[in-house]
Amino acid sequence: MAEDLVLDTAIRDWVLIPLSVVMVLIGILRYFVSKLMRSSPAPDAKMVKEGQVIIRARNLKSGANFIPPRSFRTRRLYYSNEENGLLHVPKGQGTNPQAQMFSDPNMAMDMMKKNLSMIIPQTLTFGFVNFFFSGFVAAKIPFPLTQRFRSMLQNGIDLSTVDVSYVSSRSWYFLNLFGLRGLFSLILGDENAIDDTQRMMQMGGLGFDASKSLSAEKDGLDIIQHEWALPRFEQRAESVLRKLVK
Amino acid sequence: MGSSEKRSKDVMSDIPTFSAENLQNNLKVIQNSRTFLSIIAGVLAGIIGFTGLTGFVFYFVVMLITSVGLMAKAGFSADLYFDSWNRVLFDGFLGGLMSFVLFWTFAYDLVHIF
Repeated sequence: MAEDLVLDTAIRDWVLIPLSVVMVLIGILRYFVSKLMRSSPAPDAKMVKEGQVIIRARNLKSGANFIPPRSFRTRRLYYSNEENGLLHVPKGQGTNPQAQMFSDPNMAMDMMKKNLSMIIPQTLTFGFVNFFFSGFVAAKIPFPLTQRFRSMLQNGIDLSTVDVSYVSSRSWYFLNLFGLRGLFSLILGDENAIDDTQRMMQMGGLGFDASKSLSAEKDGLDIIQHEWALPRFEQRAESVLRKLVK
Repeated sequence: MGSSEKRSKDVMSDIPTFSAENLQNNLKVIQNSRTFLSIIAGVLAGIIGFTGLTGFVFYFVVMLITSVGLMAKAGFSADLYFDSWNRVLFDGFLGGLMSFVLFWTFAYDLVHIF
């Protein structure tokens, strides 16, 4: 443990507080800018149709126990029969999403927009913080840490004698970046909950293959064990009513 | 906690009958109240001046109180609103920790370091 550093109050007034406020405001700004830039993709009839079929099949799956066995079997046949069931995809007809993506310039454009809206503010903020607030010891974490955290917490100052729990301004920026996520989800609502990492994942799954999910739904429907729930509900209702009458 | 849980299902025993949207809403309420309380707890811990382990213990205590509060809000019958008890106890526990540490550090620095 090195002896305590004395930090100038001016650092608090001109680095710590402004940096935190700027981070919050930039987060809000990013939210609204990305909201403005978001373009709703023009619905493609075939895609919409497939999506709706999947949703209907899913509904049938989750509500299976509330309809009589006969109705369930009819519906299942309607979805999954091998000749003209809705969920049945003839072999070799599924389009390759990768190829489709490259042939459609709009899709690439959209992806680029998404990418840019993610990277540009990040870079700008980092540049801003670097320019105005670099090189300060801005904060002190109120719990001890081991030496390994030095590179993480004291990014930007090269003093090996300073205690690890002191945080440089650039690292304070990173701490803010991760820690403010909760605050944003509170003040901006759910939509913001899809943060950058998740957006990245989504991008990976952009080439969404409808035929694959169709056949997955079909398999799911096929293996369902149907068990009608209503007969037991009558008993339940009876017992509840009896209790009420008593 | 401005949490308003909705009745997500009728009283039933054997088959799970949940309305997915209501369940989602309940989980969101839990998440929000946990985040909110972890921020508040962080600011509190910073102002009081906890350091080291005490602060984390404080966080756990606050989260425990939150769990109890949520359970009380659910009328101590979580089965009505959630698919398992663990949801009430552990959801959003680690997510709040990051916010807690940030606000703890922030308040502690503002009050005690300078």
